[in-house]
Amino acid sequence: MAVETQVEMPMARAMTSRERRWRSWPQTPSLVFLVVLIVVLCVTTPGFATAANLRGVIEQVAVVAIVALAVNQVVLAGEIDVSTGSLVAICSFVYGNVALSQGGAWLPLCAALIAGGAIGAVNGVLSTYGRVPSIVATVGTQFILRGIVLLAGGAQVLNLAVDSRSFGAGAPLGIPTSIVVLAAIFLAMQWLSSHTTFGRDIYAVGGNSRAALATGLPIHRIRLLTFVLSGVSCGLAAAVLLGQIGQLQATAATGLELKVIAAIVLGGTRITGGRGSNVSPVIGAVLVGVILNALTLNRVSGAYELLVLGALILAAVSFEGVRQRLSGERN
Amino acid sequence: MSVTTSLRRLTWPSRDAVLAVLFIAEVAMIGILVPGYLSPYGLLDASRQFAEVGLIALGMTLIIVAGGIDLSVGSLLALVSVTIGFSFQAGLPLGAALFAGLAVGAAGGFFNGVMVTSLRLHPLVVTLATFALYRGIAFAVSKGAAVSSFPEWFGIFGQTSIGGLVPVQLICFALLALVLALLLARTPFGRRLYAIGNNELAARFSGVNTALTRIIAYTLTGCLVGLAGIIYTSRISSARGNAGYGLELTVIAMVVLGGTRITGGSGTVLGTVLGVLILSYLQDGLTYGGVRSDWALIVTGAFLIVAVLLNEIFRRVRR
Repeated sequence: MAVETQVEMPMARAMTSRERRWRSWPQTPSLVFLVVLIVVLCVTTPGFATAANLRGVIEQVAVVAIVALAVNQVVLAGEIDVSTGSLVAICSFVYGNVALSQGGAWLPLCAALIAGGAIGAVNGVLSTYGRVPSIVATVGTQFILRGIVLLAGGAQVLNLAVDSRSFGAGAPLGIPTSIVVLAAIFLAMQWLSSHTTFGRDIYAVGGNSRAALATGLPIHRIRLLTFVLSGVSCGLAAAVLLGQIGQLQATAATGLELKVIAAIVLGGTRITGGRGSNVSPVIGAVLVGVILNALTLNRVSGAYELLVLGALILAAVSFEGVRQRLSGERN
Repeated sequence: MSVTTSLRRLTWPSRDAVLAVLFIAEVAMIGILVPGYLSPYGLLDASRQFAEVGLIALGMTLIIVAGGIDLSVGSLLALVSVTIGFSFQAGLPLGAALFAGLAVGAAGGFFNGVMVTSLRLHPLVVTLATFALYRGIAFAVSKGAAVSSFPEWFGIFGQTSIGGLVPVQLICFALLALVLALLLARTPFGRRLYAIGNNELAARFSGVNTALTRIIAYTLTGCLVGLAGIIYTSRISSARGNAGYGLELTVIAMVVLGGTRITGGSGTVLGTVLGVLILSYLQDGLTYGGVRSDWALIVTGAFLIVAVLLNEIFRRVRR
């Protein structure tokens, strides 16, 4: 999973190859931090280390983590997608309306996935062949999509039938469905990254797009496909979100895009692309979930939530900056 | 350069001219479609809605020209507003509270700049963190409450107009637009911003103190957010932690619509002013015409994408 091929340097103290790989992992700092935090919380906070609580934490971050896993690929390819909040909203609108007219869960899911993928493709075409920088293109589509959802959905709040909620509610195998969906997406992305040419190409394009172009990689097509992936994941996240809350609202998932980016960055993926792993967005999302949960369990007022979260993100990114300067990765 | 290229460059309309024509056409069209819209009072009064975002957009232009970005401006506006309101409630004289608000704005911008330059972190990452942090502090200080009992005179920044016609904040915006336009186009500092945005490494090797220049750009933006925070708090006469929510993306949209390249190195303050005017009067016209404001979101997004698409096409034609 070590994603960057690094030049092996002769070292004074012999490091085992495993140790060296550990150190080169982009997600190692955040993983260590998460483990330490969990250990501390297990000791200090009663009620944290129960299965029900931990399950609740992961269920809560599932939507963000699902989207983050796909947007992570976009970021790895050197682009960014900040339209995901509105994308999830419009996909849940599609999902909800198909579910209300046709019932069931699979047909609405297909519709949401297709809608998400199509809009993702538009984002991708604009950002690659259209040469609109992706941050601008996706800010634009974010506005447009939210406008459409608000116009079409407006103030209506629609309740979904139980059989249409199966992706976010219930636990048929003893594990909540949203966690199963998250795990499936994680495995799919892991397979994509380590066993497909496309997955490897994403790193190549993000690491050095000119070198990738010189090698003959179709960099536009690869980036476009990551945007499609991001859109499809929003369709899936919409199904999970609707299953969890059971209601269709036009303002759903407002502000999700920045939570997603925060999870990716917290987990250790480099925002300019080429370095990161599929574990990163999951760790980032879970870290945020654990912290919010710890605050709730310790009865800290909700007014301090964002402050703690902001300080944490800042600490994490500065730690990464200091580490990179000290280790001489950049100067 | 061949004669045809120079001719084409001469006759090809500048981006600012295109935007100006677009703006006039837009206002004229709203005027035709919505009877009674075109009155000097109404047109000037609309500036109350955009002076704040406009001020922030001026600073954002400097940051983006230098190849940076600032996502924290909406949160910083909330922090400034809360600082003013709650330090006033705690017994500080209002004048001192306003000064504290400005200082918090400047400090917030300065902090962004220092984090970006000293740790060499990507500005998107740093300001995403301060985006959460600044609003987090605002929420923690205000605990979800609002302060809205200000003395009468506080209204001068956001509610009064000169001669009953020109809102005070419009004058403020116009003056600062002029100052920043001169700063960007006519001073060594402005040239350094372009140099950094075009090629930071080359700028550093040419002797530009890139870190200091970028810190100044962020701090200046912070000051403008501080000023915008004063005007905002005065206009709605209330200080609350959720002020300016989602403002950052609107501001960036205005700057980019104004022709500033998001990757840095090119852009003008005049362009940004036109970007601000185009998007704000669009919104104002739609609201005045009784159209659902959700349409404004759609048109804003479409304008943004089309503008940048056209920009890219222009750039390729020019070459």
